[in-house]
Amino acid sequence: MDLEHALTLAQARSFVAALADAAVDDDASAAFERVLIELDWLHGDASPGLDTDGLSEDRDVLYVAATAAIESLALFGMDALDLELLLVRLEAARALDRP
Amino acid sequence: MYGETGDQMRTELAALLRQHRIVQRLGDPSATAASAVPDREAAGTVIQQYRQTILSWCAEAVMAAKPLVFSATLPSPTNPFKTSSEPHTAVGELARALHLARDASTSPRATTALLTTPSPNEVVEHWRQAARAAALAEHDTNGAAGARLTSPQAQALAGDVAAVTQALVVLDQRYLNIPGWERLAEPGRLGWAALATALDVSLGQPDYSVDNTGWRPRTHELRIGPQKGILGVLQAEHDLLVRLKSFPTAMNLRLIVDSQQRLSRRLALMVERTDAGRSGMWRARAASYSLLKQQLRDVGGRIGKGGPAVAEAANAVARLRALPTDTIIEPRVAAGFQTLFDGIDQRIPEIVHTGVDRGAYLHRLQVPRLVTDAGQLVSPVHERFMPLGRARGKDLLDATRRLVPSMEPTRAPPGRSRSALHSALLHRPETRRPDPGIPGL
Repeated sequence: MDLEHALTLAQARSFVAALADAAVDDDASAAFERVLIELDWLHGDASPGLDTDGLSEDRDVLYVAATAAIESLALFGMDALDLELLLVRLEAARALDRP
Repeated sequence: MYGETGDQMRTELAALLRQHRIVQRLGDPSATAASAVPDREAAGTVIQQYRQTILSWCAEAVMAAKPLVFSATLPSPTNPFKTSSEPHTAVGELARALHLARDASTSPRATTALLTTPSPNEVVEHWRQAARAAALAEHDTNGAAGARLTSPQAQALAGDVAAVTQALVVLDQRYLNIPGWERLAEPGRLGWAALATALDVSLGQPDYSVDNTGWRPRTHELRIGPQKGILGVLQAEHDLLVRLKSFPTAMNLRLIVDSQQRLSRRLALMVERTDAGRSGMWRARAASYSLLKQQLRDVGGRIGKGGPAVAEAANAVARLRALPTDTIIEPRVAAGFQTLFDGIDQRIPEIVHTGVDRGAYLHRLQVPRLVTDAGQLVSPVHERFMPLGRARGKDLLDATRRLVPSMEPTRAPPGRSRSALHSALLHRPETRRPDPGIPGL
């Protein structure tokens, strides 16, 4: 895994984890956690650690950043269909997160 | 399990105690007294071998219970270097008398062939069943199983041994007329020691949960095909617990933890109408798994398996999601889920502790950020994972401590076979009363 790939993946993980922490209820949090697990699954559990220091607390900002980071993973050879399915799950989790 | 073997032993002995005129029951009843002697002697020899098997179990079981049975009748010794259980306590005397009776008998223990071959004679068959149960009970009370007994459980076991011994003494007296019958050594002493032990135990608080201890057959997944409805969820959860015997990889553990959080949360909503208390417990369980899931985000590691367990966990979640939200969970089904949850809540912390101690679970390191003042573009990447020791994994281990199985110590009932044996010991045969006839005739 390239350093740039690792950095992008770490960002995507961190944004999704921050979304899970900031979710309005347990169902939404569990849905974001599921996205995080699937993200790690796609990378054969070789993901770097989370770095949530200094991230925005605004869930809209986090969601946009997470979407952008996941889309960027396509640049590093990840399967586009897998990433699209992941984005659908992220969107479904976001739908649960709306109060 | 001792509950099954002990129950069968007491049931068979109670049946034997209710039999009288034993000599007529052995051998061919139509034969003359002289011609039936060889048959009766042979039956007596076999019965003595069965008795020796029961006596052996009694002698071994009382030795397992003896260190944990503290006499309720003797005051504590003033000298702290003297134990209160030695010597001359009732259970100590019973152990001595049982060993004496076992060693003094010239009859060997019943062979496996004898224990497994049914007899057409009713008396011998009862003895065979009792001896077979005694032989199986050695699995449940001796050795490692006996080492796990608590003091109240040991009291219950000592009480059981005392009752069985009393039955053997009574039967020994009743079988005296069988040709070639060998009496127990010091039967009077044995009977009184058994009586004193039973009295001593009854002054304490014996714990009959001893019935749940002992050997159990290995649990297998349910091979009954996929069930429908809530039973399907129960089936998948059971199979998950069975599959959790194998150590899962970190990723599979995360998936299993996630499934348990989802299951608990949804089941808590469903069970709220029938059992609000249990619903609260399952909500708390879901919160504990949520925290554990959070702590597992930065844990990796490819050592282990756990694929079948993840498949069962996914089955459970998928089947539960297919159920309507207004599904009513019966108390019995809810109790089944609770039992399975307790097993899983016990197993998951074991897995995490094993993974941390053996280095199977690792901590993910952060990717270094761009650094502008260190003279280089980025810090070099040396490691991507670090061993998750006790210090680094403290938060994770703390999260597992919240998974406390709800196994509350319940007072187990003594069971019907114990009272049946006691009443059989005390019963008197019905005497033939003279026919009063019809007044006036």
